[in-house]
Amino acid sequence: MKESPEIAAEFSFEKEKVIAKSFSQRFQWEMILIGLGQAAIWLSLWPLVLNGLLDLWAGFLIASLCACLAYLPSHEAQHGNYSRGNPKLRWLDGLVGHITLVTLKFPYHILRITHMKHHAYTNDPEKDPDYANAHNTSVLQVIKNVLDGSTVQFDKYLEVFQNDKAFVNSFHQAIPIALLYKAAPLVLVVIFPFETLLLWWLPAKIGSVYTTVFFSYYPHLGTSAGRYQNTRFWSHWMPRFLNHSMQLHFIHHLHPSIGHYDEPKAIEALKPFLIARKVPGADQIPDKITLNPLIKI
Amino acid sequence: MLVEKFLNHISNWGKFWFGLIFLGSIFNEILEQFTMLSGSSFLWILAFGSGAMIGLVAKIRGAWL
Repeated sequence: MKESPEIAAEFSFEKEKVIAKSFSQRFQWEMILIGLGQAAIWLSLWPLVLNGLLDLWAGFLIASLCACLAYLPSHEAQHGNYSRGNPKLRWLDGLVGHITLVTLKFPYHILRITHMKHHAYTNDPEKDPDYANAHNTSVLQVIKNVLDGSTVQFDKYLEVFQNDKAFVNSFHQAIPIALLYKAAPLVLVVIFPFETLLLWWLPAKIGSVYTTVFFSYYPHLGTSAGRYQNTRFWSHWMPRFLNHSMQLHFIHHLHPSIGHYDEPKAIEALKPFLIARKVPGADQIPDKITLNPLIKI
Repeated sequence: MLVEKFLNHISNWGKFWFGLIFLGSIFNEILEQFTMLSGSSFLWILAFGSGAMIGLVAKIRGAWL
């Protein structure tokens, strides 16, 4: 990476990488537990509700919570953060990545390849699959688009990346699962109308809105292209564990291999680097990221 | 070839089928459970017809909302 002459040697990319790497070693067991756990809980809601052991509305609330927890474990898998380069553990990325997304009804392969393109072309209007979400006019518009399904423009990106063989292959690999996620609710709704609506379809919509607003919209709002400029540090009235600490998302864009729960420590260590690089909002990073330091008072 | 045709159909008519089957089933259940119309032979026509109509409008508009 070519260094800008403005950056002091002590904040070089090489030094930044060494620090970041030290936070990229740990096995992400919490994410595996959350991913597989929420999917198991969501699945168990069906027999419980259908047998009258759990009220449908209680099931709806639990399913919605599961859907909000569903994306992040898959996101870690998309980056290979469970296997961490070990070919013998690659199955774990696929297992968690696929299973956790059942609640949201999204095929893992498509999310993985489009997310890789999001990292490669962040904030590029033509090539960033998240561009429409991140650069929308308001949070209400984002919510409307997600509910409408118009944020899912996978066909468009199949055309944009038609010469990328790996992208096209992964896309085609995902088609059977995508069709299954389209067909399964249509079959289930005929037999169990309200259960399908309140245990799967509506929670998946709520989870998708939550994920898009906090993972795509807020972290990239008002940012431009460039490694240190395409994501920002931001504050929110909501305690950070309720929005998956997405205020810290910029560190993920700089170093995707840092595990999600190791990001606060990594940010503390890398704060001087981030300020030197003029990451948007970096000067507001607290010296110590405690459990809940980011509420705007 | 057949798969491609099927995928094209889903892509073009997905909203209509979703309206007919998904929304139709939900409307049918609501009418069955929460109205006096329960047992009426025209109930399913009203429910699935409304669903299909909403789906068709969404297909023509290219968006649900």
